Amino acid sequence: MKYLDCFRAIARHRTDEIVIASAGNSCQAWWAATRDSVGSFYLDASMSLSTMFASGLALAQPSLAIWAFMGDGAFCMNPGMLMVERQMNLPNLTHFLVSNRVYGATSNAGLPNFKDNDYAAIARGMGLQRVFEFANLEALERDFPRLKAANAPGHTFVVLEVEPFSAEEQKLEQPPFDGPELKFRFGRHIESLTGSSIFGYQI
Amino acid sequence: MSDKANDSARRIADELASCGVKLVASLPDNWIMEVIDTIDCDDRFVHVPVNREESAIGLCSGAYMGAMGSAALMGASGFMTVVYALTKINYTYEIPLFLMATLRGAVGDHHKHHISNGLYLLPVLDAISMPYRIIDKPEDISSISRCYRHTRTYARPMVVLFTRDLLRRQGGGH
Repeated sequence: MKYLDCFRAIARHRTDEIVIASAGNSCQAWWAATRDSVGSFYLDASMSLSTMFASGLALAQPSLAIWAFMGDGAFCMNPGMLMVERQMNLPNLTHFLVSNRVYGATSNAGLPNFKDNDYAAIARGMGLQRVFEFANLEALERDFPRLKAANAPGHTFVVLEVEPFSAEEQKLEQPPFDGPELKFRFGRHIESLTGSSIFGYQI
Repeated sequence: MSDKANDSARRIADELASCGVKLVASLPDNWIMEVIDTIDCDDRFVHVPVNREESAIGLCSGAYMGAMGSAALMGASGFMTVVYALTKINYTYEIPLFLMATLRGAVGDHHKHHISNGLYLLPVLDAISMPYRIIDKPEDISSISRCYRHTRTYARPMVVLFTRDLLRRQGGGH
């Protein structure tokens, strides 16, 4: 399926989920699909760490549902993250693995072993139980409510098989924020949702 | 492990708890095993053993954005692998992070394979303008709270470095 169509479909199914987008195309795609700058954190500089970041947030705020996007390029750099995720087993975390079989942020450079990587099998091999795979929009639209509504314990891992960005899509705007601005926009939103104090600094 | 080492581990745990640390993400180093075991058995903490040191940086940074106090605990060699994560996440977004690491390769470390840490750990910290404090004696453990609070003011990472004399406090070189 087309990368952007996939993200637009997921955005339509979103209600109050907090989103962490990762380095590369997923930041561009989520920004294009939502223009959200308060309930989404664009962790653009984070090779392989978006779901660890999301896990920390999910642990800290169990009342929030957290979605985290990660490309398969990032995943290949740190697949052991799934061991940590499985061990933490946070029911409010959904890890979306965006599989375009390339390093999308670097001009679709080749990914090692891209033809044979079976991300769902890798996840199951690490003990994950709530594993979903979507390769077309029809299935995504049909089954996404089931993915969201399921009440099984443990965190959710979703493989999205998408086409790499086209040359035109590579030119999509990056979220136009500097790091500290994103931190405060997102953090203030989390504070307002939870009543917690992230930036409780006093002189 | 000596009673003195046990005492240092307990005091480190107490100090972390006193400044609001809940999540501790760790990777082992022989010198900090007593600290890791102490934290793992302490209900005041959620201890998450991670697969690599960068994962600890991600976890603790996310916990900060959820208002949970956290600390990353690792050896010097592990610290040397996290420069990318620190500079990209914690410097770019100005997200505070408190780290604890071993001062490997310094006087008293008998391991030749840590000579590189002795040569380069502190220069690397200086190169990325990352503040650090060396904790060499039990009476200095109380500075953990001050360093932790400094990360919140400074909005960037800081590391405290534990020496062998603090953590082992016994004969032998391992």
